[in-house]
Parts: sequence; C-alpha cells; structure tokens
Amino acid sequence: MSSSVSVAAEWDLLSDRFYRRITIYSPLPWSSPATTTASSSGGGSSGVGRLDLSTHIVAAAPFGGPIAAVRDDSKIVQLHSEPSRRRLLLFSSSGHPLASSPWTPHLPRLHSLAFSSSLNLLALLSDGSLLRFRLPDLNPITSSSPVPLLPPASGGVADAVFWGGGVAILTEDNRVVVTTDIEVDDPHPRELADPGVAEDEQVLCMAVVEPQFVMSGSPEVLLAVGDRVVAVDEDGVQVLGEALEIGPVQKMAVSPNGKLLAAFAHDGRLLVIPTDFSRIIFEYECDSALPPDQIAWCGLDSVLLYWSEVLLMVGPNGDPVQYNYDEPVMLIPECDGVRILTNSSMEFLHRVPDSTTLIFGIGSMSPAALLYDARDHYDKQSAKAYDNYQLISSSLPEAIEACIDAAGYEFDVSRQHTLLRAATYGLAFCSRFPHGRFQEMCKILRVLNAVRDPEIGMPLTVKQYKLLTATVLIGRLINANQHLLALRISEYLNLNPEVVIMHWACEKITASAAIPDVVLLEGLLDKLRLCKGISYAAVAAHADNSGRRKLAAMLVDHESQSSKQIPLLLSIDEQDKALQKSIDSGDTDLVYLVLFHIWQKISVEKSAPLDFFGVINARPLARDLFIAYARHSKHEALKDFFLSTGRLQDAGFLLLKESRELERNPMASKGSPLHGPQVRLVEQAHRLFAETKEHLFESKSAEEHAKLLRVQHQLEVSTKQAIFVGSSVSDTIKTCIVMGNERAAVKVKSEFKVPDKRWYWLKSCALATVGNWDALETFSREKRPPGGYKPFVEACIDAGQKTEALKYIPKLTDPGERSEVLVRIRVDTAC
Amino acid sequence: MAQIPNLDNAALNLTALREQSQKELLSIIKSIRGKKCLVIDPKLAGTLSLILQTSALKEYGTELRILSADPLQTECPKVVYLVRSQLNFMKFVANQIKNDESKGLQREYHLYFVPRRIVACEKILEEEKVHQKLTIGEYPLYLVPLDEDVLSLELDYSLQECLIEGDTSSVWHVAKAIHKLEFAFGVIPNIRAKGVASTKAAELLNHMQLEDPVSMDNMGIPEIDTVILLDREVDMVTPMCSQLTYEGLLDEMLEIHNGSVEVDASIMGAQQDGKKVKVPLNSSDKLYKEIRDLNLHVVVQVVRQKATSIQQDYAEVKSTNTQSVSELKDFVKRLHSLPEIARHVNLAQHLQSFAAKPAFHARVEIEQIILEAQTYETCYEYIEEIIQKQEPIETVLRLLVLFSLTNGGLPKKNFDYLRREILHSYGFEHMPLLYNLEKAGLVKRQESRTNWPVISRALQLIVDIKDPEKY
Repeated sequence: MSSSVSVAAEWDLLSDRFYRRITIYSPLPWSSPATTTASSSGGGSSGVGRLDLSTHIVAAAPFGGPIAAVRDDSKIVQLHSEPSRRRLLLFSSSGHPLASSPWTPHLPRLHSLAFSSSLNLLALLSDGSLLRFRLPDLNPITSSSPVPLLPPASGGVADAVFWGGGVAILTEDNRVVVTTDIEVDDPHPRELADPGVAEDEQVLCMAVVEPQFVMSGSPEVLLAVGDRVVAVDEDGVQVLGEALEIGPVQKMAVSPNGKLLAAFAHDGRLLVIPTDFSRIIFEYECDSALPPDQIAWCGLDSVLLYWSEVLLMVGPNGDPVQYNYDEPVMLIPECDGVRILTNSSMEFLHRVPDSTTLIFGIGSMSPAALLYDARDHYDKQSAKAYDNYQLISSSLPEAIEACIDAAGYEFDVSRQHTLLRAATYGLAFCSRFPHGRFQEMCKILRVLNAVRDPEIGMPLTVKQYKLLTATVLIGRLINANQHLLALRISEYLNLNPEVVIMHWACEKITASAAIPDVVLLEGLLDKLRLCKGISYAAVAAHADNSGRRKLAAMLVDHESQSSKQIPLLLSIDEQDKALQKSIDSGDTDLVYLVLFHIWQKISVEKSAPLDFFGVINARPLARDLFIAYARHSKHEALKDFFLSTGRLQDAGFLLLKESRELERNPMASKGSPLHGPQVRLVEQAHRLFAETKEHLFESKSAEEHAKLLRVQHQLEVSTKQAIFVGSSVSDTIKTCIVMGNERAAVKVKSEFKVPDKRWYWLKSCALATVGNWDALETFSREKRPPGGYKPFVEACIDAGQKTEALKYIPKLTDPGERSEVLVRIRVDTAC
Repeated sequence: MAQIPNLDNAALNLTALREQSQKELLSIIKSIRGKKCLVIDPKLAGTLSLILQTSALKEYGTELRILSADPLQTECPKVVYLVRSQLNFMKFVANQIKNDESKGLQREYHLYFVPRRIVACEKILEEEKVHQKLTIGEYPLYLVPLDEDVLSLELDYSLQECLIEGDTSSVWHVAKAIHKLEFAFGVIPNIRAKGVASTKAAELLNHMQLEDPVSMDNMGIPEIDTVILLDREVDMVTPMCSQLTYEGLLDEMLEIHNGSVEVDASIMGAQQDGKKVKVPLNSSDKLYKEIRDLNLHVVVQVVRQKATSIQQDYAEVKSTNTQSVSELKDFVKRLHSLPEIARHVNLAQHLQSFAAKPAFHARVEIEQIILEAQTYETCYEYIEEIIQKQEPIETVLRLLVLFSLTNGGLPKKNFDYLRREILHSYGFEHMPLLYNLEKAGLVKRQESRTNWPVISRALQLIVDIKDPEKY
C-alpha cells in the first residue's frame, strides 16, 4: 500500500475531513513571457502576455470559464515592456491568451468585470453604466456605448455584486439598483426599497442571495450597515439577526446553495449563519481583526479567508488549515470547491471525495482500497492479488463503484487510469455490476480530459460537467471557436452536431473574406453534408449579412425547405429563381409571396409593369394566380396584362363582367337614356373578341348582346315600361306577346333570327300564360308547326287546361308521344 | 338529434382528430378574454357544426355572427373573424372594420385564417388599410370527419380553381391534409394517384415527407396502408347523371349540407307549417346506414317491411297474453327504432313525390339514351327542345355536358347552334359560363371520334336501369 501513502500525504485535515489542493495548470503561459509570444499570433500579441493580479481588475467565469482582465489604472504600475495603452485581455483558464482589444480611453473608471452565465463579458463603470462584450473576439454587444443602469445623479457605484444573470449595485448615495436580465438589450434596471442608511452611517459590505434561492424569484440584497445587517428587496427592508448581536460585519459571502452566509465581524470572528439569521451555526475567532481581502465558500463545508500572503480555510470544528502564497491570489468559487488563481498557477481546492478517501486514506482497509491494491499486485504478477479479491468478494460492487467514482475526481490522467484498471479487475469477477456505469465514466473522462487540455483550458470536474450539461459545454466550445473538438464530442456523445456545424459554417464565412466563393462553398458543403436536415438557408442568410451575396445564392440552392429558401432568395434579389422554386414547391402561398415581392419592387422602381407581365406570363401557375388575385382587386392591372400579352378574349370577358356590374347598379343603367356605358362596354368586348380568330362565337354573341340591349331600350321607351333590359331574347319575345304586342315580338324574332321551332314554343307558352286560348288556336292553324303540336299541348297542360290540351293531342304524330301525354294528364289529375 | 356524427365505429380514431380540432378552436376562443363576437364565414359555420355544438362557444362569452357584406351588428368590444383564406372574404372583413370606424366604434379585431395564413389575403387587407388593426392567427382545420368513414377537405371550388382558373392551391392543400393525417396515424406506405392533379398532390406529399418527416419512433405499424388519389376529372359522367339511390336523391332534391338536410316540418309529419327542421343523416342512424345506398324503390320496400313487421308484432302482443317477459323486451327494443323508421318513411315519401313524376322518368330515360350513345339525333333534339322550352339551365347544362362527354364533343354547327339557343333563352350573361365549360373540356367542339362506347362496354360502366335491385 505504499503507493497510496504518497497520495494522502498531500491532503490536509480540516475538522474530520480531508481537503486537497490540485495544481491544474502551472506555470501559466503569461508568467513566462517567452512562451506566450510564440503561442499567440498576429496583432495584439504584444499586449497579451503578462498578467499580474495585483495590478489588474480581473474576472473569471465559473465552470472552468475564461479569465478577463484590464489593468487597474487606480494603481501605480511599473510598465516593463508593455504598451502604456490599456487593453482588455482574455485568457483561458490555462492562461492561454484568447483575445485582446484596446480599452476605449476616456471612459469613466472601470469598477469591476464579470461574466454572465452565457459567457458574455460585463464591465461595470464607476458611473453605473455597463459595457458588454461578446466572446471570443470581445466585440461589443449591441452598441459600443455603455448602457446606463443607474438613475441620474445617484453618485455612481459604491459597490457591486454580480451573479450569472444580473448585478446588484450600491450607489454612492446608498441606494440599491438591481437588474436581473443583464444579457438582453435593455437590462431594465430597477431600484429596490430604500435601505434606510443614515447620514452618518456607512455600508460596510454587501452580498446577494441570487433570485433562484429566493421564494419571490427576485434577488435579495444583504447590506451590512453600522452594527446591523439589512435584507433589501423590491418590497421592503428587513433588519436581520439583531438578537445575534454580531456587531458590524466587514465581509460577507453567501454559500453556493444560497442558504448560508459567512460573515466576518469587526472583532475578527468568522460566523456562519443561515441567511435568515435565525442562529449562529458556528463561529471561529481569527488572529487578525483586519477584514480579509477575499472571502469565499469552498463547497458547503468550509469558508476561505484571504489576507495578503495567507489563505485560511475554516471549517465547523478544529483548527483551520493555512496556506501561504507569496504572490497575489484570486479565489474563484465553483459548485464543488474553489479554484485559486495566482500569477503563476491555477489550482483547485476541494474536499477529498469519500471514494478517494476510502481508497487512498492512510491505513484504509476498505474493500475499495483492497481492490486498488489487488490490481497493483496483479500487474506485478503477484498471487496476493487473488488473496485480496477473496477478502472483498462479498462487497465487490461497492469497491468497483468506489474506484470508478474516484477516477472521476482525478485530474491526473495516469491516476484515472490506475483507478479504472482497478475497477476492471473487479469487474472481471463481478457480472452483476452494471457495465454501463463503467463505460459512462470512461466517456465522461475522455470528454473532460479533452477540454482540460491546456490548449482548450476548461478545467471542469465531473460534478461541474454534470451540472453544466454536455450541450452547454459544446456551446461554450463553439463560442471559443473550438469547433473540431465540439464536433468530436457531440459525435462521441451521440448529440446532434447541427449546432456545431452551423456555427462553424457561419464563423468560417466571417473569417474567410479572402477566399473565393466557389472554394469556400466547397469547404462549407463538405461539412454541412455531415448533418442531415441542417438549415442551409440560415447559413446563406449569414453569408448574405456578411456581404457575400453570391455565396448566399449558391448556398440557398441546397436548402430543401422551400418555405425557408424562398424568402431568402428574395432577400438576395434572386427573384427569378425564387419564382421558379416557389412554383416547383406547389405551395401557391409561396408563389404569391414572390409575386407581391416583385410587384412591390416594380412599383418602387417605377419600371414598366410590362417586365412583370413578361416574367409571369412565361410561368402558367404564377400567371394564373396573378389573374385570380387581380380579379378581386386590380381590374385595371389585369386588363393591361391581358391586352399586353395578347389575351384579348380574357380582356373581353372582363369588359362583359364590368358591363354586368353596371347593369346591377340601378343608378348606372336605368338612369341613363341609352344604357350607353353598358352597351359601349359590350361593344368593346365584341371588338376584342373579333380581333382573335378563335372567338368568333363570342364575338357574334357580344354583338347580338349589344343589339339586344338597344332593342330592349327602344321597347322600354315605346311601352313606357322598364321591364325589358336584362332579360333574354326569348323572354323579350314572350313579354311582347304577353303584352299583346305581336308586331314587336315578330320584329325581335326576325332581328335575332329566332328559329321557328323556338318561336312556336315561346308564343304558345306566352299565349297560354295569359289564357288567350283563341289566339292559341288561331296560331295553331297558321301553318303546320315545324316541330309538331307538342308546344301547344304542353302549354295547355302547364296552364292546367286539359280541355284545351285535348284539342291538340290528336294532332301529335308520334303515337308514343300521344299516349305519354295522356298518361301525364291523368297522373297530374291524380296528384 | 345531434348533428355531430358518432365516430365510435370508425376504422381510424377520428374522434381524436375531431377533439384536436375542438381543442384548437376553444383555445383560440379562450385566448381572447371577455365578451367577443365570433364572425364565421357562411360555409365554415356549417363545417364547424360538425366539430362542436355552437352552444359550447357561447359558454366563453361568444356571440355568433355570419360574415357577410353587411355591417356587423354587435355590442361586443372584441371581434374575432374566423374565415377560410379566400380573397373575397377579405373585402367583407375590411368593410366591416371601416364601417365601425366611420361610426367611431373602437374595437379589438382578431382574424384567424382557416386553415392557414395566405399572403394574398393579407395583401388585400393591407391594400384596404385594415391589416394593422388586426391580430392575425391561424386555425389549422384541414379535414373534417363527416361520418365514420368520410373525411372532408371542404374545398367546394377546387375543380373550378384547378380547371378554369389554373389555381392549384387545393392540390397543395390536399397533400398538406394527408401529411397532417400522417402525424396522427403514421406514414402511409402506399400512394396511388390517377390524374394530373392527383399525381401532383402525391408528388407534393412526397416532398413534404422529406421536408418535415413524421417520426415513426413512438408509433407502431402505420394505421393507413394505402391512399388512393383520384382526380374528379377521371369521371365527369357520374355527377351529370340523375341520382337514383336514397342518399343521392336526398342530396339532389333536398341538398345535404354538413351531414344533414333541412326540410319543412310538415314533411316530417309535424303540425307546425312553414317551420324548417334539420334531419341528420349519418351512419349513427342504423337504418340509414342500411338503406342509404339502395335504390329509392327498394328503400320504400325495406322501410315498409320494417313497419309492417312491428305492426304485426304489436297485433300479436295485443291479441295474446302468452309472451314471456323476454319476448316483450325484444318487442320494446324494436319499438325504439320506430322514430327512425318514421323519419325515413317521411323522407322517402317526399322523394317519391318527385321521382314518380313523368318528367323525372323522362329525364332518367334520356340520360340512359345519351349514355348508350347510339342515337345522336334523338339526344340532340331533346336538348334543343328543353333549351327552347327554357327548362332550368342546370338541367340543360348537365345533359349537354353528358352529351358532349359521351359523344366526344359536338359537331361545330350543332355546338354553336345550341350555345346560341342557350344564350337567347337564358340571357347573354351566360357567355362566360359557356366559355368556362369549354375551357374545362366539359362542353366542346368535336375533334375526334369518341371512345366512350368502347370504354363503357369494356369497363361495364352502365348498369341496366330496369333492374333496380342490382345497385
């Protein structure tokens, strides 16, 4: 068990628990200038390199996120080889420079830097305005001018506390302003209740209970004022823990679960109390009454206090652990420990997990420790391996689980390896242990090791990774332009690579201004093909926004969803293609979309509608849809279209339709003497029909129609009855006969060449209607009717005059017909 | 008498489909708080009556109105238009809003398109300058269950749009509706199509399946095995012929709308005259299910037989006292079907009064002659005569179309003559109608010999009318 001893030797005992400091990255590239110049490339590299925590304002994102820094101009600094202009610097957690950009001069003093939960960099200026930058290139978000958060004349920022989604600011005149939507365009700051700080009082320190831990869902700000602590929220102010008599609090920190508060009192006591100040959980008297520079929770079991050169870890019982640092330190709280950033290294301080203690604890005889030992013997080909196995065979599953679990907590790859090998040794004897658990841990470790690599620099622990989720990790990787790794990880974990590829394609386009379209397209397509169903239109839209319209056009060709493709084609001015694609899609709504777009453009550009007509006339569906639409609201345009494309007959029908609308409108027809407008429209239509060869029938009919309207008008004038216009030729004849105007009827008959057959039907019907049976009989004797006597018989039957009908029935020539009629008379009577 | 058909016996879970539509509609209604006036287009109002009871809407503070060209009469501060996406409705909506404005009425307007928003409609609203005043949404109602084995797209004008206007929106609509159905019942593995439009619809459906795949992960075997798409054009002959089955005659004489007919109360044997009653017609009615597709003569016999058998039972019950309780129970059970029998006796009797007329027989007879396509002159003269007699133009056109179809068109001289006679008899305003019929190929000039007699014989399309039992 000699190998285990060395492991546990590095641990420190606090109360009854072990803690360990793991050095993750050391030395950091920025501490040795020689390596940094080599690794960073291009412009700005001279400014990136050295980072001294004591002279910079620094922010570090949790979950192994990046580090941002700006030189603190309130401190006197000796410039070595650095330029005197300040720059905003961005490093990975492993100290690799990621980006830098010049800090805009003449801004108000920088108060603090912080990262939002989606890794935007936030810079709060002393006047209470906020600058936001997008990673990885530090481009300002929305605008380069700061967004004010404080009401005017508040005196600027006295103190501020950031959390993932917001910031709470204490102003110089002791008011509290909070925003909870720090990422949106308008952060919407609002002022909390007045904390009621008296003129002669001072706010000593502040802390925030984040909104997710507060019932109301809005943050609660704790202020230490004089010898009391007040909780401020939107509705009011509450004085806390007066009964506890803590005295003035100099420094506070809220625990990662929002339930506990570590408070450093003026007399050097460190107190841990619930955030409702109901009792004191424990207190520890420090040697110094001087408040610490930094205070942070390490997990939920201990509190770190940092004074210059001394870091003290205090736990609920026993002596604290003291670490000494000869350089400045920054504490970065994580959910399961604290990262300690110094000028030269990145360390992780956390409680030694139970499984690790079981295996490596000094003198541990736990099954896990024995299993670990057994593997060691096995590798040395020692028979002791089997002895160990026999000792623990009953509790093998726990032992395996402990080895796997412990492997997860290790940063050292070779130790992960030995622990997993120990687990596999146990697995060989234990079929009931779920193998998936082992594979899962291997997968997680492969991902973690990949992102912990100093080149990537995301020192995540298993716990952090599970909390962050793989999807967010991939999101962070692509935002850091680590697309290849992100793709590999998403493939490895069976996640949809669409996000990665899409982001890559867009970044590629942005970064490839110099590459010709065709070459770039090939490169893009190679990767886009990897992902089925990816939206080419989205990539194309990005290309268009980056000023690469031709590339956009080529990309959008590959989009399979017409409803996405077509609007984009229109936005890049590919109207013809858009029109063709919309027709192919069969979705008439898309065709209309294109049609209106083109129509609109034409009316803006004032180019002749003829172009439009030309475009649509070549495409039947587009043409027909335009016609259907224009029929409802654009008659004139439609007429122009018909005339200009030689569809004279359609123009003719359109005129006929207009003439009918005139007829329906009493003001237009009955009022005017000649029904002039209506007749004129019909005549126009007649001429249009006549111009085509194929529409002779329509032409003649229109001509007759116009003639009929004239005749009817004359009849109305001569009879002084407005009952003719609008009726048919046959009805006109009938009306004349009914009115006893035989001459007029005959005139209409001859003018419109009404066949004799019809004449007999009309006249007999009309005479029967008025019951003029004598005239009917005279009519029947005039000559032999061309269609026989059927009209006479039917006219009589329809009028219910059986006796009259019987006069003509014998004259029917067809015997079948005769009997049929007789039957009909009988049936009708029966009914 | 609920008009909403019972779908429990359907092969597919159509009830779920209908409930989905109900839910979507109610959530629209609920999303608009307070008192509101729901304005529905006339056709859609009928369709919705197949989905839910209109009284259900009233529970949510909704007044119902039918969309028309007239100004809207309501006191409600909120107006919700629910209209099919048709261009002509947009003017109505715009006019009503403008009318409110001219009266100084301030209202909140919502417009829900059925089944989806259409650029062309919104364009008209923009041109009328009311688009800004409307909150626009969609009510994706594509298919409505009419009966346990019938889903309807309710596209009344699709044939006209496709054949005459060249507007193939309905084809896309068909594909979309089937695709939507696939999300409920699984991807349909076999698609057969006959005709230009159907082929296009199948093609579009295929494309939709690629664009927006239906996930089959949590579905078993697809519930629909095959979809067969047919163009109406494949058979234009049938709709031109007179109907002879019970359901067909009901539709022809009384017009079935949304699964019911509206008739005078007196026909149904009620006392109050002049009042209309709605009679639902669907397979929930067991007797109707049995007789709907039978020839009217047979229907009369079946119904009579049922009535007499009950009558006999009744006589037996009355005369003897020897029945057991279970026998009586059976009898009472059969008595329950009496209202159904009465209903169909009344309807069948009403239809008989039409069908017994010589005119009806003459009409069926001439149709038969036209279909046999042997005696051109007889048919031609018959049609000429009914035009000159000015019989209803629908009758004339149906026969003329039938004649043209079976004859492969009419010789130019006859064609022009009959068309002229029609215009003279019924008015020149029918010119576009004739032109459209020609454009659709329904009434046309003869260009080649007809293949109708060959087809009808080879495929045995004509059933002998004199044997009504056969069909």
